[in-house]
Amino acid sequence: MLKCKHVVEKADALVDGAPLSKRERFALRLHLLICHHCRRYVRQLRVLLNSLPRNPDALDDARTREVLERLDSSQDR
Amino acid sequence: MDPTLESPEFVDRLRQGDRAAFGLLVKAHHNMLLATARTMLSPADAEEAVQDGWIAAHRAIAKFEGRSLLRTWLTRIVINQARMMLRKGGREIQFDPSDEQDPLAHRFRDGGHWDHPPQHWDLSGPDALLTRDELRHCMEKTLGKMPDNQRLVLELRDLQGMDFDDICNMLDVSASNVRVLLHRARARLFELVDHFQETGEC
Repeated sequence: MLKCKHVVEKADALVDGAPLSKRERFALRLHLLICHHCRRYVRQLRVLLNSLPRNPDALDDARTREVLERLDSSQDR
Repeated sequence: MDPTLESPEFVDRLRQGDRAAFGLLVKAHHNMLLATARTMLSPADAEEAVQDGWIAAHRAIAKFEGRSLLRTWLTRIVINQARMMLRKGGREIQFDPSDEQDPLAHRFRDGGHWDHPPQHWDLSGPDALLTRDELRHCMEKTLGKMPDNQRLVLELRDLQGMDFDDICNMLDVSASNVRVLLHRARARLFELVDHFQETGEC
């Protein structure tokens, strides 16, 4: 029987949809069916990852020009 | 991000040296690349690594074969620049997970069952979790204290949403090592939020 500690270690692959063997997937499902602590861990891990800030803003035009100008001067050298 | 910035037409324009297209590339990716470089370098060094990355990308773009996304290609270039800068300073980023304990290890009994199980998180509202300033502040502190290798993997996978296998390839690290680093990084964040939910403090 899979232990909670191992479920937590495998939870990352599970929430990422990473390939797990049939055996691993079955053992995880079975454990989650009976263990509400681990169920809560997996659910809240998903919430946490979904709430992380994603994709910073695009660079503003002035800074973009600066980068391009420095690129030009590097080519002159 | 605008999907046309990964289209074959856009890549062709870049390969032909279209300056406006290169400007769009810089505009769209610069801040993301900077965030990646900052996980390994000081803010000033990170700026330099990204600027040098653009120079390297501009030189190499004519030979870009489109086997990966532009975004993946650029990230790989910047990571290589950052690693080069670290080496110059006699430093190196290691991707072998250290013997450090799992950040959640203390919450289990010897038999591997929960001793201190997760709290029930109060999630009123769809994105209430990180909208609280205090928690965001705690999160930044935790990210700041995180080992560079964990921080980098978390940035690429969970903040930028990169493909797991692409990350392993661009870092040249085994999937099992990336898995361990990612798990530790996430477990630290989980611990933080769980503790915050329980006590209202970092």
